[in-house]
Amino acid sequence: MRFEKYFEPASIKECCELLVEYGKDAKLLAGGTDLVPKMKAEVLAPKAVISLHKIPGLETYKLCDKGVTIGALMPLRKLSLCEDLNKWPALKAAAGHVSSMQIRNQATLGGNACNASPSADAVEGLMVYDAIVNIAGPNGDREVEIADFFKGPGKTDLKEGEFVVSFFVPAPEEGTGAAYRKFAIRGDTDISIVGAGARLLLKDGKIADARITLASVAPTPMRAVKTEEFLIGKTPDEETAKAAGKIARDEAKPISDPRASAWYRKDIVEVEVYHAILDAAAAVK
Amino acid sequence: MSEIEKIRVELTVNGKHHVLYVSPCKTLLEVLREDLNLIGTKRGCDDSNCGVCTVLVNGQAIKSCTMLIPLANGCDITTIEGLEREGGLHPLQQAFIDRFAVQCGYCTPAMILTAKAILDENPNASEEEIRDGLHGNLCRCTGYTKIMEAILDVRDGKYKESCGEV
Repeated sequence: MRFEKYFEPASIKECCELLVEYGKDAKLLAGGTDLVPKMKAEVLAPKAVISLHKIPGLETYKLCDKGVTIGALMPLRKLSLCEDLNKWPALKAAAGHVSSMQIRNQATLGGNACNASPSADAVEGLMVYDAIVNIAGPNGDREVEIADFFKGPGKTDLKEGEFVVSFFVPAPEEGTGAAYRKFAIRGDTDISIVGAGARLLLKDGKIADARITLASVAPTPMRAVKTEEFLIGKTPDEETAKAAGKIARDEAKPISDPRASAWYRKDIVEVEVYHAILDAAAAVK
Repeated sequence: MSEIEKIRVELTVNGKHHVLYVSPCKTLLEVLREDLNLIGTKRGCDDSNCGVCTVLVNGQAIKSCTMLIPLANGCDITTIEGLEREGGLHPLQQAFIDRFAVQCGYCTPAMILTAKAILDENPNASEEEIRDGLHGNLCRCTGYTKIMEAILDVRDGKYKESCGEV
């Protein structure tokens, strides 16, 4: 594994300038758990590696009345265990399902998102809460809704010179319950065959708002919009969850790969969405 | 491709301070084995699946084959060579011997360090929590039962008198 240049920019501005200078020849280093194996396997061969670790404030989170801003370098394990983030159980659970303890200690939320894998897990946890991606770039800052951030496997909305600084995760309304479930053959260390997130807002015993997110069943992390629409106005019981699972099954667009065939993934979507909805309903306080 | 400029890295490894000038292309595993001659840390798959390269960085278990050396700059690192105290074995080391939790031995340093990270964080970790923590460590001899028994013995305080605290 070799690259020619290594940089540790001390500010966002400096980092953007380096990204503009090196363009496609540069890769950003967050935790490195995806980048380093890919460089070793020569899937990626950047000329320049730019570490984000000297830029202040990227490893922390900041709570406010409207929600929380989580820095791109927040390690996934720290996130999954953080008691200040108990309002967002689906995000914590999703981050806690990414790979092994060691990898979660190294891997970051920003890296998990920018890698743009459909099986990211933590990303689907962010999508459950309609998170906003805060992007810095040579022409200033901008925001993108997390569901619009992914453009294909390994492809994001980031333009030249831009990088992800943090995520804003809105605080859920009173009466919300949420859950995230991962299905993989060998547990969390394995890559998801299916991930399913759910957030339900209940008013007078009926579902007033719903989010259903799916991992590993489409080219990008996805929202099951038809399933969400179906859920509105329903009672969050077994019958509803079963019917919703069937709709999500039709919405999922999986491929067959060495981990699972497409039909199997669809079967699992139906089961996991059913459970995610019931788990979310049970979590409403 | 031109040779990359070396960077200055400060590491505290097993309590000993080092200042090194190394290529930033190196991983922590390579620096430990090649520059510091600490070969107790093993190289297995070299792509962060098998876990035999696990070391503790600031007390946290990480896979050293996947950590670029600049990220370890300024960190406190514990390898298997750092567990002995006053010539005696660490409780986990002794328990692995007593329970015969070692077959070929290749995964053992990482198993012990990962177990240490789990028990340091939660001395009363349940069997399930320990298994969950060890999920990223493979033993190709498949001696998992003995490994669990050794760790549970230490958790249950069977080595307190002979070896002190975990």
